[in-house]
Amino acid sequence: MATPWSCQWNCLHQQATSEIGPFRPIERYKPGEHPRFIARCSASSAKHFGTLMLDILIDNYSVLARGLAFTLIVSLSAILLGMLMGMLLAFGLTSRFTLVRRLAGIYRSFWRGTPILLQLLLVYYLLPEFGLNIPPLPAAILTLTLNTAAFQSEIFRSGIMHIPPGQVEAARMVGMKTWDIRRRIVVPQVFRLTLPPLTNEVITILKNSSLISVISVTELMRTSEQIASRTFQPLDTYLVAALLYLAVNLFLARLSAHLERHMKGGLAAE
Amino acid sequence: MFDFQLLIEMRGLILQGLWNTVWICFLGCLVAVTFGLVLASLRLTSPRIFGPPVAVYIELCRGVPLLVILFLLYYGGPSIGLRLSAEIAGLVGIGLYGAGYFAEIYRAGFLSIPKGQLEAARMLGISRLNTLRRIQIPQMLQLIVPPGTNQLIILVKESALLSVISVDDLTKNATAMVNQTFAVIEPYLTVALLYWLIIETIARGGYTLEKRLARRDSLPTPSPKDTSRDAHVTS
Amino acid sequence: MSHLEATTEAAFSNARRAQAESLITAHGLGKRFSDLQVLEDIDFDLSPSEVVCVIGPSGSGKSTLLRCLAFLEPYDDGSVYIHGKLLGYEQRGGMRVRASEKTIDRVRSPIGMVFQHFHLWPHRTALQNVTEALRLVQGLSRKHADQQGLAMLERVGLSDRAHHYPENLSGGQKQRVAIARALAMKPEVMLFDEPTSALDPELVGEVLEVMKQLASDGMTMVIVTHEMGFAAHVADRVIFMDQGRIVESGKPGTLFRHPRSERLAQFLNTWRERTLT
Repeated sequence: MATPWSCQWNCLHQQATSEIGPFRPIERYKPGEHPRFIARCSASSAKHFGTLMLDILIDNYSVLARGLAFTLIVSLSAILLGMLMGMLLAFGLTSRFTLVRRLAGIYRSFWRGTPILLQLLLVYYLLPEFGLNIPPLPAAILTLTLNTAAFQSEIFRSGIMHIPPGQVEAARMVGMKTWDIRRRIVVPQVFRLTLPPLTNEVITILKNSSLISVISVTELMRTSEQIASRTFQPLDTYLVAALLYLAVNLFLARLSAHLERHMKGGLAAE
Repeated sequence: MFDFQLLIEMRGLILQGLWNTVWICFLGCLVAVTFGLVLASLRLTSPRIFGPPVAVYIELCRGVPLLVILFLLYYGGPSIGLRLSAEIAGLVGIGLYGAGYFAEIYRAGFLSIPKGQLEAARMLGISRLNTLRRIQIPQMLQLIVPPGTNQLIILVKESALLSVISVDDLTKNATAMVNQTFAVIEPYLTVALLYWLIIETIARGGYTLEKRLARRDSLPTPSPKDTSRDAHVTS
Repeated sequence: MSHLEATTEAAFSNARRAQAESLITAHGLGKRFSDLQVLEDIDFDLSPSEVVCVIGPSGSGKSTLLRCLAFLEPYDDGSVYIHGKLLGYEQRGGMRVRASEKTIDRVRSPIGMVFQHFHLWPHRTALQNVTEALRLVQGLSRKHADQQGLAMLERVGLSDRAHHYPENLSGGQKQRVAIARALAMKPEVMLFDEPTSALDPELVGEVLEVMKQLASDGMTMVIVTHEMGFAAHVADRVIFMDQGRIVESGKPGTLFRHPRSERLAQFLNTWRERTLT
């Protein structure tokens, strides 16, 4: 089967030895006088190489789009739910009750300290043992949420600790209750403070979503595997997948930089 | 409730998985640390030539999942004549992927040394090379240990992906055990514990290294409070 | 020769002699940061054993002036000469080109500098901070370097702290180590960039004491400072800068008691109000 790379090498070898004659040292060529065989072959194989990836992209446009959509849906759900849970956990980590702190700490240690793949398998195969039969997609979202909540809890915890305690004291003196203080004073500031590490976490979630292919969710990675096995073009297919992931991540990085600029207002000690 | 007998029966699979995970991670991380250093040095010595390519490489490592890289190496490799075994593909994948992150860690460490110290050295007539050797690198070594240890831990966790390209690592053998014994809790929890042990070892090793370096060159010794081992396990 | 010609001739030869003796000279020195003119048309002369204090409000360009004299920042207009040699640039066929690092180091080797934030190397003891350059630049053996280093620390009163790390030293002690470190290279001129501005008030005195001692030992010094008392008692000459220019310059007694410019009078008033209330 002719792949772009093998074509290029075959071309060069053939032309060099039969049609044109022996190679001339490269300095002997005047500028603009390209050796015909190199020009002809590299042009055609470059086109071939590039267009193969383009072909794959175009032919499988709808499945790839569907896969990408699943990737985004799962990631987004995990991010949002994880944010909520992570914030609650962060309050647990900074709680005045030792027991609450300990429990939150144990949760964090486990979900940060073990591989996500293992966590996925654990959730997917363990829950049926207790009678809970969850289909792959919700199981995937659940696992990713539990995982990212642990990382986000650490991010939020450090953000909470960066808020000058004087603000909380002042709020308490005015009579605000703990949960009101948390809701109206702590949370808004924490988000502004922790935007950079949060973006990193979002990018990580997106990359981790590729793992849920293992429990047969048909997101981008699994779709690519299917295309690769159908077209026998693994290299180009996975390169397309890589580019798609890269594109989404670059877009996210831009978005976050944009958000950071717009959220610059009124922070405590920056 | 927890069937220890099962673990003893399956000890072959457990040990094989443990061995594969450990040796591939070890060599992969070695490649990552070394190649990352090479990349960072290239960027340092000739920023105009090597700056952009290295920056692009680092962005690729950040933006593309390790799984895709492993697939490219193992399944896509043969198309360009690269026939790697699953284990070697995994090793190379971890190495190349981690190198991007380590290059960034080295760079951040380098930049975090206050410029004033370098100015003082210039005014005393100390050459650029000597400043690098005696002032910057010794301080960098200590600065790099916490984020470096962190990154090693991340790579170990990511190594679970090797199971997907059919390496008989801890994760793959855990699934094999599940298929053989129809027990789910024992295999997965044991394997989770083993991963956790590997990670704890690395974390403690990092902490000891920090303290050892601090004592020798005497930057302020890290207190357990600000180098909490959990802090190592961030992404 | 007429009387006028004679005095002019005398004036010229005095000027020439002064320039030959001048350790640092600046002519028409200027520096820009994008479109902000930070230094403008600075003329400066420094004679051996002279102690010059530079005062002025924040943003007046005092620190920038010092840093340009040391070429820690490149200057855009004018010239700086150290012992008559151009600093930072070379004349190559009518064009001014930036000199190599080695040349710059060679030209400015008679200068030692002390910084506002000390900039000690945290992974070295006090003694090691002082001997580092002795060993790396002058190639002294450890024994000789330690000998000289200890002598320097003795001079600033810190020989008992020789083996302490900077994190275990107070601000004043750190600054004194920094002074010892610069002195170890036997400079002819010492530049001080706001040496006491980062110190707690109780610690300022010990550093000023060391500087006073240096001055009476005959060291040539240029000090950017807010310590008016020090300037009044120790300086041979005080320069007042504002908005990048030298506004007034003269003996401290005259300058402080009879300021000629409105700006200096204002500056001294605010300082007096702040210290007396």
